[in-house]
Amino acid sequence: MTSSSRPHLRTTSALALAAALSFAAPIAFAQDSAAETSQTDQEAMPYNAPAENAEQIAPAAQEPTGELPEASDIASDTPAPSQPAMPVDVGADWPYYGGDGSAQRFSPLDQITPENVSNLERAFVYHTGDMPTGSAEGKYSPETTPLKIGDNLVMCSPMNTLISIDPATGEEKWRYDPGVSNDAIPYGATCRGVAAYTDPDLEEDDVCKVKIIEGTIDARLIAVDLATGEPCTDFGNNGAVDLWDGIGEKVPGWYAISAQPTVVNGVIVTGAQVKDGQAENAPSGVIRGFDAKTGELAWAWDLADPERMRNGPPEGETYTRGTPNMWTSASADEERGIVYLPLGNSAVDYYGSNRSDVENEYATSLVALDASTGEELWHFQTVRNDVWDYDLSSQPTLLDYQGQPALLLTTKQGDIYILNRVTGEAITPVGEITDAPKGDIEPDFISDSQPVSEWATLRKPPLTEKRMWGFTPIDQLWCRIQFRRANYDGYLTPPSTEPYIQYPGYNGGSDWGSIAIDLERNLLIANYNDVPNLNHLVPREEADERGWKPINELEGAAEGGAEGAGDPQAGAPYAISVNAGWRSGLTGMPCTQPPYGGITAIDLDTGEPVWDTPIGTARRNGPFGIPSKLPLKIGTPNNGGPVATAGGLIFIGAATDNMFRAIDMKTGETLWSDVLPAGGQANPISYEVDGEQYVLIAAGGHHFMETGVSDEIIAYKLPK
Amino acid sequence: MATDGITKRRAPVGWGVRILAWVCILFGAVLFSGGVWLMALGGSWYYGIAGLGLVITGALLNRGNILAVWIYAAIWAATMVWAWWESGSDLWAQVPRMLSPTVILVAVLLCIPALTRAGQTRAGQLRH
Repeated sequence: MTSSSRPHLRTTSALALAAALSFAAPIAFAQDSAAETSQTDQEAMPYNAPAENAEQIAPAAQEPTGELPEASDIASDTPAPSQPAMPVDVGADWPYYGGDGSAQRFSPLDQITPENVSNLERAFVYHTGDMPTGSAEGKYSPETTPLKIGDNLVMCSPMNTLISIDPATGEEKWRYDPGVSNDAIPYGATCRGVAAYTDPDLEEDDVCKVKIIEGTIDARLIAVDLATGEPCTDFGNNGAVDLWDGIGEKVPGWYAISAQPTVVNGVIVTGAQVKDGQAENAPSGVIRGFDAKTGELAWAWDLADPERMRNGPPEGETYTRGTPNMWTSASADEERGIVYLPLGNSAVDYYGSNRSDVENEYATSLVALDASTGEELWHFQTVRNDVWDYDLSSQPTLLDYQGQPALLLTTKQGDIYILNRVTGEAITPVGEITDAPKGDIEPDFISDSQPVSEWATLRKPPLTEKRMWGFTPIDQLWCRIQFRRANYDGYLTPPSTEPYIQYPGYNGGSDWGSIAIDLERNLLIANYNDVPNLNHLVPREEADERGWKPINELEGAAEGGAEGAGDPQAGAPYAISVNAGWRSGLTGMPCTQPPYGGITAIDLDTGEPVWDTPIGTARRNGPFGIPSKLPLKIGTPNNGGPVATAGGLIFIGAATDNMFRAIDMKTGETLWSDVLPAGGQANPISYEVDGEQYVLIAAGGHHFMETGVSDEIIAYKLPK
Repeated sequence: MATDGITKRRAPVGWGVRILAWVCILFGAVLFSGGVWLMALGGSWYYGIAGLGLVITGALLNRGNILAVWIYAAIWAATMVWAWWESGSDLWAQVPRMLSPTVILVAVLLCIPALTRAGQTRAGQLRH
């Protein structure tokens, strides 16, 4: 699955408009009530309660599969082969996408505190100048998080222009435009970040001593000099490596990079986003490592044929097509030379019978590779035979846990796991759902058992008819009727041609924004979505009648729009239709009641929430798309992660009310906020210049989240 | 136009009450039919019953019968109890349950003077 996010939901609000609206509703109701047939659902879902329900979950161990290395082979007694990609600490700097290499999204800065945060003010606003033109209109979702390295604040714009600005003033230092064309935009124009690499063999003043590396949406790796923004001419072809090599027929938009690469011991590791739901015969999900000095292929990991493809496909062949890809951010244990890859599902998400055994083995798994050879060390699967698009989408976070080198993994379905990052064995308890429903479409493929975390989950209890919503009794009634008619057996209801409810939907749980942890306070900070999708499979003949074609058969640019709203899934007997966020056809409002998203602090020892509260107000939402302007907390869908600071604050945008917030880490209370020009669907950062702490967010907006578009990068600090 | 006497006897109320009456009938009919469907699907009985009550309220309003107020007040009170039972103090969850029924309640209460006048008129006609 590809990137990002999805539902935006017009949440709602209660205005005095009520009466007028309630009178308008009956008409639409009458029109819609002739809808398709379906079955009643059952109310009881025996297995889907989160893991606390111990007796329903057989305590089966979730063993990591694959060749398990002896811990000692790669553990700490091995000397570190080289220095980290960025030998600077997080604090004054923000040298990695996730803060430091452990991706904890934690800043040790403590100048801004719950006591003084109310004084926070804008330090500068920088305009990247990258706004959509022509066919890019309505497709921007920048999701950008800059790095701060010394005197440079480095970032990529949605169309992959690399930019450095002064971190104190916002003054532009340089920019490099790789010339990406609009037709390359896959699902959205997104560049979540860049990676930095310090070459240990070069002198301080050498050109490209520190490289800034990005993957582009037209599938190139670009490397420029941090000091000047000039392409590193020794890297690839004049500073660029073409990632279409070995992928096959070049179809713009089908294969794109939206996440920053990960540099481990001189190897740049990247996957790619393969636009979802197009065809079984899609570009490969191959993961590749490139020499950070030269851009030469160091290794390839093709999960279906790892040995033969290790040095690239033989002449005339391509990497194995249709395999699960990694569109989101990896992380790495640089000391041990291991890279952790959160893989998504196979190219066709909602039908699995044609997948190969090896795809089923790896889809929706976290895979650990030896970063110097590309060989697999272990993998850990979070969904068996995934037909829900539950891609792993968050960046894994590294920490020490119970005396072990560990990794914390969050998922779209909400489950949170902590694994030993050397062996892949679960440290927190993993349970097993049994008797999961198999449905009528492919009962032999659907797995009747699935792993669940018995330690912590962001997943809420299953939906009931009472949780159907609306603005008036009439639209609420219509949603209740739909609920009763839809197939719904709780969590993991399998696909059907009749409408069926998928809850949580494909936006999570946790998504690409990932989580933050504060080891001093022993807290895990996670924002999450709490939104169902209403889906149905569309038989091939009907999909053909509707003209649904995969991207390689389209003439002209693909339309924007929510992912899965009509995806052909060519090669499978069914296409898929997704009503993301299950919005009412009457009002455009969600059929389920708020909240649609929240933020929680979880005790890292117990896995229990310390607090859990909705995030986002109703100010931008309302029936028929009319903003209610109500500053009331409702809990909106959200995308983009938090940053936790030693000062005791969480900074987060993410919510679709376009607010940027400072939240008290102890209580979950919002202490300060600022209205952004568009949605803050990006991870904020914190850094320091001349003894002053800054907090910064890219307020780029997001097409799918319906939060507008802007090119503003906004920094905040306390007044002097 | 009929004679004054006949008009007054059939609908001794003004246009405001009649609009409200028809809104209640329309709203109630939709709720009733959808509610019966929901009942048949094994869902809540509230909507069917409330819909029926609204239709009756509307019919009585049309006749200028003060009983409409009492019936609607009962529906409204039952609605509040039901809403609390389903969703408690979750205010957002109460938006569809409490908001428009309360708006209608206010409108119905505003009809009291007109309905009282209509009742007096009718009583006066009966005495003659």
